[in-house]
Amino acid sequence: MSEQAAHVVEALYGGEPQSQADGAYIIQTRDLTKRYQLGRNNFVDALRGATLDIRRGEMAAIMGPSGSGKSTFMHIAGCLDVADGGEVWLNGRRVDGLSARELVGIRRKEIGFIFQGFNLIPTLTAEENVALAGEYAGMGRGVALNRARELLEMVGLGDRTRHVPSELSGGQQQRVAIARALVNDPGIVMGDEPTGDLDTTTSEEIVGMMRTVNRERGTTFLIVTHNPEVASACDRTVRMRDGVVVDDGDGTPPGP
Amino acid sequence: MRLIRNIFRRKLRAFLTIFGISIGVFALLVMGALAEKLTLLVDGGMRYYEGKVVVTAPTQFAGLVSTPLKASLLREIEHVEGVARVSASVSALLDKEIPAVSMGNIPTIQAEDGRAKGYEKFVFGYTAGRELRNTDVGKVALGADLVKRLNGAVGGHVEIRGKRYEVVGIADKTLTAPDNAVMMTMEDARRIVHEDLPDAVRDSVDPNSIVSSFAVYLEEGERPEVVARRIERQVDNVEAMTPLDFERQVKQPLAIFTSIIYAVALVSLLVGGLSVVNTMTMSVAERTREIGVRKAIGASNAQIMGQFIAESAVIGLIGGLAGLVMGLLVTVAGNAAGEATGNALFLVTNRLVVGAVTFAVALGTLSGLYPAWHAASLNPVEALRYE
Repeated sequence: MSEQAAHVVEALYGGEPQSQADGAYIIQTRDLTKRYQLGRNNFVDALRGATLDIRRGEMAAIMGPSGSGKSTFMHIAGCLDVADGGEVWLNGRRVDGLSARELVGIRRKEIGFIFQGFNLIPTLTAEENVALAGEYAGMGRGVALNRARELLEMVGLGDRTRHVPSELSGGQQQRVAIARALVNDPGIVMGDEPTGDLDTTTSEEIVGMMRTVNRERGTTFLIVTHNPEVASACDRTVRMRDGVVVDDGDGTPPGP
Repeated sequence: MRLIRNIFRRKLRAFLTIFGISIGVFALLVMGALAEKLTLLVDGGMRYYEGKVVVTAPTQFAGLVSTPLKASLLREIEHVEGVARVSASVSALLDKEIPAVSMGNIPTIQAEDGRAKGYEKFVFGYTAGRELRNTDVGKVALGADLVKRLNGAVGGHVEIRGKRYEVVGIADKTLTAPDNAVMMTMEDARRIVHEDLPDAVRDSVDPNSIVSSFAVYLEEGERPEVVARRIERQVDNVEAMTPLDFERQVKQPLAIFTSIIYAVALVSLLVGGLSVVNTMTMSVAERTREIGVRKAIGASNAQIMGQFIAESAVIGLIGGLAGLVMGLLVTVAGNAAGEATGNALFLVTNRLVVGAVTFAVALGTLSGLYPAWHAASLNPVEALRYE
């Protein structure tokens, strides 16, 4: 990030890293289970008792082979999906068992998402894409657009705010997605293979940007990835296999 | 604006869907304008018949094409109990041949004896010139819709049935029968009616006693139906028509006719509505992944549903407005062409315009309900996984 961009971050977030006063963990999960039905008698157990804690302010990667349950884990921890069993705590509040409506409210305010494949709305400009998340959360359109422009400036796209996704490169689109994930100032941003469709150089650039946001404003990052280089740029690497956490990357067993 | 961009993502498809709606609205507007015009004509007739009884020779329709009555009947009718005043009138078709297909009022020649003055409630003024007097032999006053056709102006002359008449006045537009009438003296009109009679009867009819119909004005408190029955009982060989008869003969068939007209237009609009359902369903399917993203970044089910319903309502609105423009072009052009023959076919009323566009928007909204509900009920995780 440039000097100038860092200055914008300073202006936006007051330079105060997010307080850790309300607990060391932003997310805690206990024995999560999730079964998908594929056919009449064809089930897949995506999670078989996954337990993991994510510290506030850290940048963690989850790795594992396809079908290990890492994406399912992220969806449940991110309140996009609900587990069949187990507990999810977000910011010290238990969120499993909440209604779909309550989960939407949590997604709006407390969680940001970045997906693989640059999931921007193709008919909206960069600033409209970023502002959209703010508008869904109840921000006025003007306020949301102003904030979107500041965030796009921060990710180095100050001169591309009026471009639609098809006019942007893959790396630029993913930077728009980062800005969108930050518009409601969430405590945690979850990335599902955020560098999956990018070349090595661009991938490094995106990871570097997430790292900077993490350091400068204390946003927690949880990144599901196949790419060891992405994982090595994180504070720790969690490994999953067959629906359970086999290594939390701390050398210490999670939980009490 | 964002809505419009979404709708026109697939330009051809959006255009075709909107075109489907606009054809329906176009049909509704044009057919409706036809129905409105007919309704207006009939309402004019209702106003004319109100509060009086019209006496004609039997089995004639509205005194328009009558075998003549005799002028001497006037005294006989005036002696019937409950009758306050009787006025004789003579009418003929302006053209000798009735057009094979005709909508609206057929141009006529009208003459009356002036005895209705003070009794007749259906009165109109004159845009130019003056009213025709009993002594104005060789002169005429023109209904508003005939001015162009006969190329008439006050002080100028017009040719009717091969004879030249001086124009003394041009009547205000009444939106009903008088607009298509040439008013002339009883004497002139009687000559024309006499000439029109079949050869076999012409010689036995005295031209000076020809009457097409009598307008019968009632004494205070008398009911038209009661007096009409008395007239038919006491005067030989006449038919007495009341406002109620007119309603039965004309208004009810018209109601059925207009219902059919509207039903046809609504069916074409419904077909347009189905194409909106189709388009919106396709659009939701294509945007499954986008819906997943929207939900992930905080869209509620209501927000997703609102978005798709709004898109579909806007399709209805654009289609409605396009259909309105097409319909207005056709009705205005049709009326301009019809004016030359004194026959404006269409009447575009405010309620028709508002009704057609409102219906298109309502249909669009309704058509979007199911696709929107389907979009809102998508599971975000599955939607995100959708390729």
